[in-house]
Amino acid sequence: MLPLFPENTKLWPKQDHPQILQEFPCENFQVQVLAAGFKQLMGELRAGRYDTWDWYQLAKRADELVTTHGQAPGLLALQHLKERWEQVGVVPYQHQIRTAERVIHELHGQAILADEVGLGKTIEAGLILKEYMLRGLVKKVLILTPANLVWQWYSELYEKFGIAAGIQRTQWDWEFADVLIASVDTAKREPHCSIITGIVYDLLIVDEAHKLKNSSTASYRLVNSIQKKYCLMLTATPVQNDLKELYNLIGLIKPGQLGSSRSFKSRFMEDKRTPKNPAELRKLLSEVMIRNRRQDGQVTLTERIVHPVVVTLTPKEQEIYNRVTEFIKARGKRSGVSNLLPLITLQREVCSSFLATALTLEKLMAGLSPPELEQAALLLKDLAEVKQNSKCDALERLVAQFSDKAIIFTEYRASQEYIRYRLERAGYKTLAFDGSLSRGKKQWVRHLFQKEAQFLVSTESGGEGLNFQFCNLVVNFDLPWNPMRLEQRIGRVHRLGQTRDVHIYNLITKGTVEEHIMYLLHRKINMFESIIGELDAILLHLNLAKSFESEVMRIFLEHETAEEIQAHLDKLAQRILSGRAQLKASAWEGLL
Amino acid sequence: MEICPGVWQVKADEALMKELDGWRAQARLLQFTFERPLAEAYGADLISPGSYRLDTILNLIRRQGLLSRAHIPHLLFHEPSIRKRVLSSFQGERAYVLTSSLEFGQYLQLELSAAARGLQKKESLHTVVVNLSSGEVLKFAFPFHLLHPGGVESTLIRKRRCSLKRAYLQAAAYLSHLYAQQDQSWALEALDKLALEEAKLESFYQGQTSSPELTAKRRELQNRLQPVLAITILRGALLYIPLFRYRLVVVDQSGRERTRTVSYDPIANLCALD
Repeated sequence: MLPLFPENTKLWPKQDHPQILQEFPCENFQVQVLAAGFKQLMGELRAGRYDTWDWYQLAKRADELVTTHGQAPGLLALQHLKERWEQVGVVPYQHQIRTAERVIHELHGQAILADEVGLGKTIEAGLILKEYMLRGLVKKVLILTPANLVWQWYSELYEKFGIAAGIQRTQWDWEFADVLIASVDTAKREPHCSIITGIVYDLLIVDEAHKLKNSSTASYRLVNSIQKKYCLMLTATPVQNDLKELYNLIGLIKPGQLGSSRSFKSRFMEDKRTPKNPAELRKLLSEVMIRNRRQDGQVTLTERIVHPVVVTLTPKEQEIYNRVTEFIKARGKRSGVSNLLPLITLQREVCSSFLATALTLEKLMAGLSPPELEQAALLLKDLAEVKQNSKCDALERLVAQFSDKAIIFTEYRASQEYIRYRLERAGYKTLAFDGSLSRGKKQWVRHLFQKEAQFLVSTESGGEGLNFQFCNLVVNFDLPWNPMRLEQRIGRVHRLGQTRDVHIYNLITKGTVEEHIMYLLHRKINMFESIIGELDAILLHLNLAKSFESEVMRIFLEHETAEEIQAHLDKLAQRILSGRAQLKASAWEGLL
Repeated sequence: MEICPGVWQVKADEALMKELDGWRAQARLLQFTFERPLAEAYGADLISPGSYRLDTILNLIRRQGLLSRAHIPHLLFHEPSIRKRVLSSFQGERAYVLTSSLEFGQYLQLELSAAARGLQKKESLHTVVVNLSSGEVLKFAFPFHLLHPGGVESTLIRKRRCSLKRAYLQAAAYLSHLYAQQDQSWALEALDKLALEEAKLESFYQGQTSSPELTAKRRELQNRLQPVLAITILRGALLYIPLFRYRLVVVDQSGRERTRTVSYDPIANLCALD
């Protein structure tokens, strides 16, 4: 268990403070006469190193240029980043600038940035960090993020703000890097947490801060015990199920802002979901939290235009598909719903490519009974015999119409390789992008795609957070069943910075489960066009975040006819839509 | 040299490039421009606020000139007038010059940065000159225009009576005094905020007044909100000022003679008995 403020915690260790030669009170302030410059001067004097008078005068001019004389009402960073942003194509939104100004001038560096998803919280945090660095108020910075966002933070800070942060890899990094990005899961483990709590940070940034909603977790205790001057917490969902979560989060930033735990309950909580005295609570929250909403009209994203591309399988392919589906249903009924994952994979793969299906089926054979094994072996033989791939034929016909770059998404490596083989054979330049690439290689592939290749065939929908706003064509070779993954795919290109409408081409094989998935995602919940950035909150709210695919598979397994399946998918869609409405109408949403 | 309108080129040797771009850099032709289209057309480094090249140049320059020296040549002053001024300072007595000599007194010019940190930070630069003979901060404008680069012969330099540390502390005290006389709303605002936040903190940790967590949070608050004037030296220079030194015979009204040694500081316009 992480020790919470042990007695021997080094409080404000001397080595982290600028050395002070003399300190004395003067009227209403304290005067600190710092030693660093004096020591340097004495060093030069003792060594007899006198510089020329011209250098002295020039250096004085340089001092004047870099000194931030006053507390300018705006942001110095905007002027400093102007050229860089023009080069990398960043156009800051007004709400981002206003947020940074408010955090610096009104909230004094202690804030929860609770913008809705996709409004650029990272840009806001980067802007605040840069501004504090330019003003000389911040030097030692720690950024705690989920492990999969570490690299994204690194590249955003470097590309957009010219801040060369370090990525924590060893326990020595904590002390040496001025701006360090680390995974919160690493930070809360020993020996790291002891080291971190002994360091005084000028600024702490915590991304995905809703993970700190529970005050008894190690992450919460770590963040609470880090010594920090300024602190930014980033989350799109500062409260999910209980107002106490909000209280805990604010306790990390400004303990006492909402009173003691007992007084908060009595003053502001009707029950765990219903706030009391909302006006007063809203006022207190506004002193520590900023929430920008999409509906406020601050951000207008370009259009998403969906193009379904219906693919008709050849009779041979259709027959194989039907046999694989029957095999899956039979096995699913026998093994029960507890072991659905391999079957889900198989059912999805059969809509993607028979090559991918064959590979999974081969792996699955190890645990089959003799009659199943015989059936599977026969299937495998037939799968190997299918020479045609109607979906890839359709893809080739589709991309022949493209004159611009496109990202082709598939869920499977086998499909990825086959697509690349077919496109290269047709004379296109393609690149592969998948989770096995190192961070550096991913950056490199992105660069090559931007500069040279026409098609990027990717199995990675989210992950490292690389963004491809320079491209506006997305082809979903197969559809992921989980709408979150679909949203992540589209989100690679359809986000802030995208200047053109995004065209999404979905390849749907007729007479397969893909038709149903398309029906659910597109026609029923209209997720391609309307539920942008809300999906994670909705699925979390409905406890469907991890079980969505199983839920869909259960419907397919338990119902035979297309009508029955559709009826149940309608119900699932209705659940999602009502979950969305509930979230919108939730009592605390009005508070934020 | 300007290789085309708006684009300048300079040959930077390896040592300079290493200073600018780190140990792996090599000698190269640096091209500069202030306009982005030209930077893109010529591959020149763009000089604009926040640009990499401007930052590296400013950082390099700021690492130079930490200590320098300059002097005011004695020939700039009209010695006969000074002699007259010295002799006339003995009111009611007659004085005769036995010998005259020249010395250089030391002044310390400090470039100080003062950062007033309250809810915001306001930084300002100050040039303060301290007389190293008397330890006093010069309250009048120093004639910087008379300074000539470089030092003077070491045998002519009068030993300083005030240490550099004391001089720095004197300069800091002088600056604090200046700030104390100015508008202090920045400090008062911060103190109000500190009091408010401390009260909130107490309410959060009801009944746990001695917990280490509360102590740490109090420290955090003070570190963030306590108004502080942080003074630091950016660079300094030793200034050598000619002191006109006279050995005199002074005859008082009763006819008694005595010898005196007087130094005249033309900057402070002061005669001092040695």
